[in-house]
Amino acid sequence: MSDENAETLTLDSMEGIDGYLDLLAEISQDFARSKNIDLTLERSLLRIKSYLNAEAASVFLIEPEEQSLVCRFSIGPEDITGARLKYGEGIVGQSIVKDTCLMVADAENEQNFSPSIDDQSGFRTKSILCSPLSTKTEQFGAIELINKENPDGHFDERDRKILKALTSSAAMAINNSRMTQALLEQERLHRELELAAELQSSLLPSPRESDFPIHAVNQPARMVSGDFFDYLELPDGRIIFNIGDVAGKGINAALLMAKTASLFRCLGKTIHKPGHLLGAINQEICETSSRGMFITMIVGILDPLKGTLTIANAGHEPPLLRTREGEYLSFPALAPPVGIETDVSPNGIFPEANISLENGTLYIFTDGVTEGIVGAKPLGIDGFKDMLDSITDRSPTDRLNYLVDIFHKSEMPLHDDLTLMLIQQQDGEHRK
Amino acid sequence: MQYNKRNENGFSIVALEGDVDFHSSREARQVLLEIVKEKGDMLIDMSKVEYIDSSGIACLVEAFQESKTAGTKFGLVSVQGTARRVLELARLEQIFPIYSSISEIEAS
Repeated sequence: MSDENAETLTLDSMEGIDGYLDLLAEISQDFARSKNIDLTLERSLLRIKSYLNAEAASVFLIEPEEQSLVCRFSIGPEDITGARLKYGEGIVGQSIVKDTCLMVADAENEQNFSPSIDDQSGFRTKSILCSPLSTKTEQFGAIELINKENPDGHFDERDRKILKALTSSAAMAINNSRMTQALLEQERLHRELELAAELQSSLLPSPRESDFPIHAVNQPARMVSGDFFDYLELPDGRIIFNIGDVAGKGINAALLMAKTASLFRCLGKTIHKPGHLLGAINQEICETSSRGMFITMIVGILDPLKGTLTIANAGHEPPLLRTREGEYLSFPALAPPVGIETDVSPNGIFPEANISLENGTLYIFTDGVTEGIVGAKPLGIDGFKDMLDSITDRSPTDRLNYLVDIFHKSEMPLHDDLTLMLIQQQDGEHRK
Repeated sequence: MQYNKRNENGFSIVALEGDVDFHSSREARQVLLEIVKEKGDMLIDMSKVEYIDSSGIACLVEAFQESKTAGTKFGLVSVQGTARRVLELARLEQIFPIYSSISEIEAS
């Protein structure tokens, strides 16, 4: 067996160089224009076999997961398409492992030759020319030519140089094709995420008129969000609402968000006690949740005329009530998050707390707010209170927009999804 | 995040160190679930955890749930600073035991 590094040769004759250049140009052009790399590879194999007068030709590709080589295309007396070799087996395997073009004059007496495919097909291999399909960083497989059809039956250095040039061109085409496929796949995933984001967005309620007592905003840190909020107006005038934050980020959090938000909308129409509703949602989530995923969540019911609320807090950031006098009252969770255990409290009902707005404003938010970077450091709960103090004269919607803008103006991208809800007592003139 | 594992009084003690967040929680998850797989009782030494986010807590919750299914013991030890605040705010002490020190466990 001889390899390309054994000696340096030049084309010993300029005879036929025009034909070679024509072939190289045709094959390169074919690959450049190809929309179907497999078809082009097969067609090129036929041309190469014919030009280099080989009895048979094949393309072997690496199957990385199985650490094997599989014959993808074959032309010759016996069809060996689908034949497999171990990675490194035979002249094909050695050519790939050494990343070099190998030439064998007498296969039977070559120790690296693997007779397994001949044994199965009945074909007899005498001489071999094999060149790897590789780029500087990637290996794809090899093109193998079998049995030179000339009087001495041997491939020569000219054949080797020609095959090496042609396989380089083919390897670049395979590389480009795979990169294009990867980009298309990336684009497909991006589009799917966009669809998921659209669906998520449709699960959130539309903004309401300024005198509506509840306003909220949701800003995903990525394309999809693990945060959510919603509110439902009941026939008796009360409003049942929620805010939630699924642990983690990414598509799994987004899917659990969609499930939890849907459960709230469905169960909230018939269960109007926050502790019971949260318990029912917890029960449903616990039945199917996995991988430690959980949701911190607040469910509440507001009587907008009286300005009173009842909330149940499952492991969520404590809501802040800014009183009319500018003091802050905090309402910490009394139970752990949703989705971990069904027996978190007696009968699975989450404990409740009563809040009287008394012309104050209740802010309910996810940790994306307090952990959001403003300037160079997290806003923190004190920073959040200072910010609220500075915008009390603004309308509810202006206040929410101002807070979201602050995070967007930060040089740091949003670290976490951010959701902020504001509940305010309706003033007398808006009461019906 | 870094971690080290030692065996003490029949417990596998995993000392986590640094930030247990979205980026490191996958590694933490592997370490903790490996112990559950080996049917080992587990304590997580949190004394050097500076920050934990919801991904990190999810990894603790999963290890706890898997331990419960496997019938093995699970607990957190020496939870400090921000991590303690996060766990307490979420009322996770109602879910899994949080000990002040390993000697407290030995005494109990």
